[in-house]
Amino acid sequence: MAVAHSVPLVAGNAVTGLPHPPEPDDGEVARRFAAGDERALAWAYERWGPQLYGLAVRALGAGPDAEDVLQQSFVSAWNGRAGYRPDAGPLPAWLVGICRHRIADAWVRRERQRRESDAALSSARLQPTGDVDAGLDTAVTDRVLVIAELERLGQPQRGILELAFFEDLTHAQIAERTGIPLGTVKSHIRRSLERLRSRLEVDGAALHS
Amino acid sequence: MQHCTREELALAALSEPLTPDQDAHLASCGACSAEVGSLRRGVDTLTALPRPATAPAVLPPPAVWSAIAAATGVSATPRPEVLAASAAAGGAPGAPPPPAPTAAAPRPPADPPVDELALRRRARRRWLAAVAASLAVGIVVGASGAALVGRSDDAVTVAAAGLSPYGGSDASGEAVLRVRDDESRVLDVRLTVRPTGGDYFEVWLLDPASQRMIALGVLDGGQTALPVPDGVDTSVFRTVDVSREAVDGDPAHSAFSIARGEL
Ligand SMILES: [Zn+2]
Repeated sequence: MAVAHSVPLVAGNAVTGLPHPPEPDDGEVARRFAAGDERALAWAYERWGPQLYGLAVRALGAGPDAEDVLQQSFVSAWNGRAGYRPDAGPLPAWLVGICRHRIADAWVRRERQRRESDAALSSARLQPTGDVDAGLDTAVTDRVLVIAELERLGQPQRGILELAFFEDLTHAQIAERTGIPLGTVKSHIRRSLERLRSRLEVDGAALHS
Repeated sequence: MQHCTREELALAALSEPLTPDQDAHLASCGACSAEVGSLRRGVDTLTALPRPATAPAVLPPPAVWSAIAAATGVSATPRPEVLAASAAAGGAPGAPPPPAPTAAAPRPPADPPVDELALRRRARRRWLAAVAASLAVGIVVGASGAALVGRSDDAVTVAAAGLSPYGGSDASGEAVLRVRDDESRVLDVRLTVRPTGGDYFEVWLLDPASQRMIALGVLDGGQTALPVPDGVDTSVFRTVDVSREAVDGDPAHSAFSIARGEL
């Protein structure tokens, strides 16, 4: 549990060496956030804002798009705090889920703009094209669909996929780390991948038709 | 040899190693390798998503919080020194952020400096702790069976059986027993062959000691999910049997089993 303890230490004043006012731990921040305590929004931003901004910068490059994603993530998290349940997982994981959605939105917006400018170029020669969504880049729509489906997965399925993909753990390592039986981990991975496949095949086809 | 199970194929899609036998089968079986291929699109997409483990934390410009405060009306403010410490914990504060991974942008340096690697590892450990903690919470809620607070209706696998050809048939497949949150049970059955017409397949649970049988239902198409009646002890009725039945109105087992396996 040494790893888990490093979270409040890093988020507190250990680095600055200032006298320590009583600092709520991550769980307390999450509870107060859910309860609508305004200080909890600032605490959450102090602790996890840079991590979320790093995600947005990695996905979109530094600049106004990444800043918008960070801003929108915290504003929607605050406005939608009734939808956060502390007993369903840590607040930073929930925030990252929201941030991924905003990133996906930004990707779609960019792709649409790219299509529009392509269409504008070609309309100089041909009739204007209609629906610019019709030909959204497959990789972009796949990412958007997968992000949406990831959010639909309940726990522990989503967490298992996150450990497998975002932490590069094998199914055996996931079982060891979480205490979930090996067979159950394998079964969850299988079912989740099959769900993603149906989502991509069905909705992906609809988006591209 | 038998086809790989769907679990094995999913692991193969994740590039996890299989046993040499399974690898050999996969290399020679069109159906199994097609299944792996069809799962790859999701795998490749997930791999391409931005993830906390590889994205170093970056100090956001002050204007972002101002915009959040304006939009929410919140008057509390983050302390700059704590914000900077969080950024430093997960990346190099003030360091130029990595370029966007688009085709047009220049590629990020292949080998980041050692310091940055160490910082990323720290961010990664922090993140790992959060994800593992979220799973631990999930297990506790699931194990206690408490309050179905909007949890998904995904059932948990409790037993599985590979179905092997029986009575000279070439049918194989698998059966997976799952328990839903409300304690009801369902048996997922998948078979490699379909009825040829004029007949249908039926799934049974068999007590091998007494040879008593319970009819679960018709295997419609190659795959189906059948409810297991409450009170059926699957440690006694532990053999999954698939029979070929004529459309003759006789509800009894036809005595033509085509595949069997032990839960
Ligand atoms: Zn096969």
